[in-house]
Amino acid sequence: MAGSATKTVHDIFQSMEYGPAATSSTATAQAWLDHHSRSLGLFIDGKFVRPADRQTRSLADSKGGNVCSTVCAVEDDVSQCASSAVNGYKAWSGMTCYNRAKVLLRLVSILGQHSKCFAELCDLCQASCSPSTLVRLLQYYSSWAQLRDTLITNWTPLGVVAVVVSDDCSLYSLMLKVLPALAMGNSVIIVPGRTTAPPALLLAQLFTSAGLAAGALNVLTGSDMLLGAKVAQNQSISYVTYSGNKQDGVMLCKATAGMGVPISISPCIGATCPFIIFESADLDSAVDGVIETAFKKKKEVHWVLCVQESVLDSVVSRLRLRMAGVKCVGLHSDADRAQVDMDIQEAQQQGATLIQSCAAPSSGALYPPTVLCGAAPSSPFVVSPSPGPLLPLMTFRSNTEAVALGNHSPHGLAASIWTEDLTLALETAKSLSVGSVWVNSHSVSDPCLPASGHKDSGSCTDGGQEGLYQFLRPSCSSSPPLPRSSPVSLDYTKFGTAASPAIIPDDSDASSAPKSYLQFVGGKACKSESGCSVAVQPPGGGSVLAYCPDGGRKDVRNAVEAAIKVQPGWMKKSPSARAQSLYSLAKGLEAKRRDIAVSINIQTGLSMDEAEKEVDLSFARLSDWAAYCDKVQGGTLPIPQSGSALSFPEALGVVGIVLPEKNPILSMVTLLGAAIATGNAVIMVPSQKYPLPALAFIQVSVKTFNVLRSKLGCQYLQYTCTSPLKTLHLFCQKNEEDKDGGRDWTQSHPSLLEEMWRNAVQWKSVWIPTA
Amino acid sequence: MTRGNPGTRLDLEWISKVRVNTQAVLKRAQQIQGQKILKKQWQAAWLLKAVTCIDLTTLAGDDTPSNVHRLCLKAIQPIRYDLLRKMDMHNKGVSTAAVCVYPSRVADAVKSLKAANSSLPVASVATGFPAGQTPLETRLREVRMAVADGATEIDIVINRTLALTGQWEAMYDEIRQFREACGDAHMKTILAIGELGTFTNVYKASMVAMMAGSDFIKTSTGKEAINATYPVAIVMVRAIRNYFLCSGHKVGFKPAGGIRTAQEALVWLTLIKEELGNDWLCPHLFRLGASSLLADIERQIYHHVTGQYPAYHELPMA
Repeated sequence: MAGSATKTVHDIFQSMEYGPAATSSTATAQAWLDHHSRSLGLFIDGKFVRPADRQTRSLADSKGGNVCSTVCAVEDDVSQCASSAVNGYKAWSGMTCYNRAKVLLRLVSILGQHSKCFAELCDLCQASCSPSTLVRLLQYYSSWAQLRDTLITNWTPLGVVAVVVSDDCSLYSLMLKVLPALAMGNSVIIVPGRTTAPPALLLAQLFTSAGLAAGALNVLTGSDMLLGAKVAQNQSISYVTYSGNKQDGVMLCKATAGMGVPISISPCIGATCPFIIFESADLDSAVDGVIETAFKKKKEVHWVLCVQESVLDSVVSRLRLRMAGVKCVGLHSDADRAQVDMDIQEAQQQGATLIQSCAAPSSGALYPPTVLCGAAPSSPFVVSPSPGPLLPLMTFRSNTEAVALGNHSPHGLAASIWTEDLTLALETAKSLSVGSVWVNSHSVSDPCLPASGHKDSGSCTDGGQEGLYQFLRPSCSSSPPLPRSSPVSLDYTKFGTAASPAIIPDDSDASSAPKSYLQFVGGKACKSESGCSVAVQPPGGGSVLAYCPDGGRKDVRNAVEAAIKVQPGWMKKSPSARAQSLYSLAKGLEAKRRDIAVSINIQTGLSMDEAEKEVDLSFARLSDWAAYCDKVQGGTLPIPQSGSALSFPEALGVVGIVLPEKNPILSMVTLLGAAIATGNAVIMVPSQKYPLPALAFIQVSVKTFNVLRSKLGCQYLQYTCTSPLKTLHLFCQKNEEDKDGGRDWTQSHPSLLEEMWRNAVQWKSVWIPTA
Repeated sequence: MTRGNPGTRLDLEWISKVRVNTQAVLKRAQQIQGQKILKKQWQAAWLLKAVTCIDLTTLAGDDTPSNVHRLCLKAIQPIRYDLLRKMDMHNKGVSTAAVCVYPSRVADAVKSLKAANSSLPVASVATGFPAGQTPLETRLREVRMAVADGATEIDIVINRTLALTGQWEAMYDEIRQFREACGDAHMKTILAIGELGTFTNVYKASMVAMMAGSDFIKTSTGKEAINATYPVAIVMVRAIRNYFLCSGHKVGFKPAGGIRTAQEALVWLTLIKEELGNDWLCPHLFRLGASSLLADIERQIYHHVTGQYPAYHELPMA
């Protein structure tokens, strides 16, 4: 049939089709862009700046029309911006909580006046974010700005925070970082992606008219991730946080490694998430959920549909019926189309059957939503998800298998589970290692839900009160935790492979022969696999105090394997049982008080009095942690929709701790206590210089942790910290910092302990909507 | 009209497995209501489709032959002829689907329609409408008498006592007997969802009614406190879909009670299109039970054709 204008009433009466989509006007946003001559500058010190001779980057709308161009900032702009942000920080953090909250609230009303312009601009840039979700963010964080000093006492803002996002990151994820940072009193430099740049610039402008101090919010646009690294390199940046896809996040981490700036990443784009339908589910609603979420044009996550075998037929027949009316989805490019065709062909060759709303047109940018039945975890389209509207469908037999399928993935962002059985829902929610669990619902995001992406999906917590701490530090801790430095060039593949020198003392008097210590792995003392040992010398060198095993790659592997084995059991123990274990550990330490003090004395040259004082402090500290065990808790969250939102602090899993050299025993029990009190298994690497106290300590019988005396172990962890592919970095980075930083281990301020346990847990939020 | 649904045996295991998640249904209902609004000729065409699905109803204590007569003639020509002509729809057989009256008025309606040379079906409510609290014997007789008077569609009400106490077998048997009493007449089963308590009960009652051979399932009598709501309709049409998947028979759906505006009629059509597909968008499988809805639809059609809204007196009353 010809154009829609010629369709008669009778035609439509027969076909009962929907009318053409109304074309929304973008006049208001276009007028704003025209006012800026369609080339947006940088937003520095409360105003637009357009430095001359900069490269620009242009942005096109969905139909290929020019929207505007943005400036690519260079070093000069970065340093100008950073100094403005420092001034902005002084002005902004000097305001009262009430006044900061007022600015955020004022933006709500200003946004109300310009909501049309904002919504249209987001539409044009394909950075969809409805004004109402932004208003919710602003209202939520304005109340945190108001209550910071009341509810989060003894913590202060970090200073200048850089928020970097990738090109495909949504405006919501960007603002989920920016607003808490501002609410806590930091100044922020936004490095937006391609699509989020214009809306971010508009918001920065609106913020200024809402009374935000000049320089408290700056926007630097660029062409790629390197700008983020350039910003991070600036000495005045206290913290870098990233949201977006994982590749860019890894790139940013690698580029900033060694700069001495803490960085955390939330790879919220591109994760694979399970959509689990149990036989006890409301199947019709579950199928509705699948259709609503799985076939979006802008895919933020890749869903994998997991259906219990007993209801497979019912689900498939419902999918067939419901998908009949679903429209084709636009692909982003011809390359995507070729990829989708290839994926489909490959899937069919492996015996997958397709459920499609219509046959795929032979070419072009439109593709029908497709369910690939008969997928397996090893199917290529599951391993590397396709760019198109394809949804793999797998089956599982039992509840435990559903959890196993859901967890067997490098990602841990979110999961949607469908069942009317409350017990099953809660059990599954607890067992899935993901940051957000949506029961009988999907894709619910609200700023009050704290969630840390598990595994590859993040290294910090966003949302809720818990998400605020990434922008705060204990007031009593010495600022900056890491000394700034320039990265040195390093061959990561060869790092840490040099052999340690063998020291054999000349005198061979049997009575004064140095004691040999062993490593402690999986509940057993053992030698190192390498068969080498390292001599430990007293201050000043000369003689050998003792021999320690020189742990190597294989020892690390054994330790990690042992730790992985015991960790789930330790985590499942009741908090009070963990507390009792820690108390008995403290008791054991007390019994060996003298031995340990002596080893401190000979190792570090500390006087016996001081050494004993350290030991006394140590078991006080252990008792602190024992007491903490059953006081650490999540809670119910006030989400605007009706239902129950729960948050749980969970153990990170296996934690590697590289111990600092200062206060060898005290620092060890402090870090160890935090980690095991929250349910982690620990691999400790004692300080290179002073390992003996720690090794003496482990002779107190403890089953849940593993100690390695290893140079290589330490380097191994250092290397992993450069890449977020390993997930230990948050806590072990912490320790790296401590090693060089001037932390005073004898201080026992509550906020320091709180910071430590916050670093030892990750948060999961569970959303159970009810009518 | 041929008989649609022969029914199946009562499968209690099926009934026991039913699960409905209330909040997910409510969310789906909101999503359907939030869908884009149809404009121009699309709106007009959809509204005309709605007209052809209306069971134009009068169920009042003061019904007499004269107002039933007016209703029948309005049902034959629901939209002013000149308006239909402007849209080239005057010869496409646009009339309402049926007229719906109390059993005692069936004879009057049949007479009026016959006099007007119309083959429009007459539907009658029966079985102790609206409460259904009369003995089974009199309820069955009521059905037979309405059919004898010329009703070709019978809207029966279920026994809520049986549904609320979970006596599904007894309910199945009763509906089976009504089915037989209906003979060749179409049977629409009113679930009175406002009195069933939960969505799960609505789903179960729908399944039992369909297994017992209902050609339509209908939301409510229009006399309960809660009538046709979108969430409850979603539950019922999902039951229809499930029954179709399992037995291969298509059962119709009739929301009734409180549907007054053209906008609501469009949402109802959207809901059916989304949940069941285009097959169900015809008078054989979809009915709207309404009395005042038609006036609003005719006003919207007038607006589509002329660009102005009419005063109520400019359009013929029912």
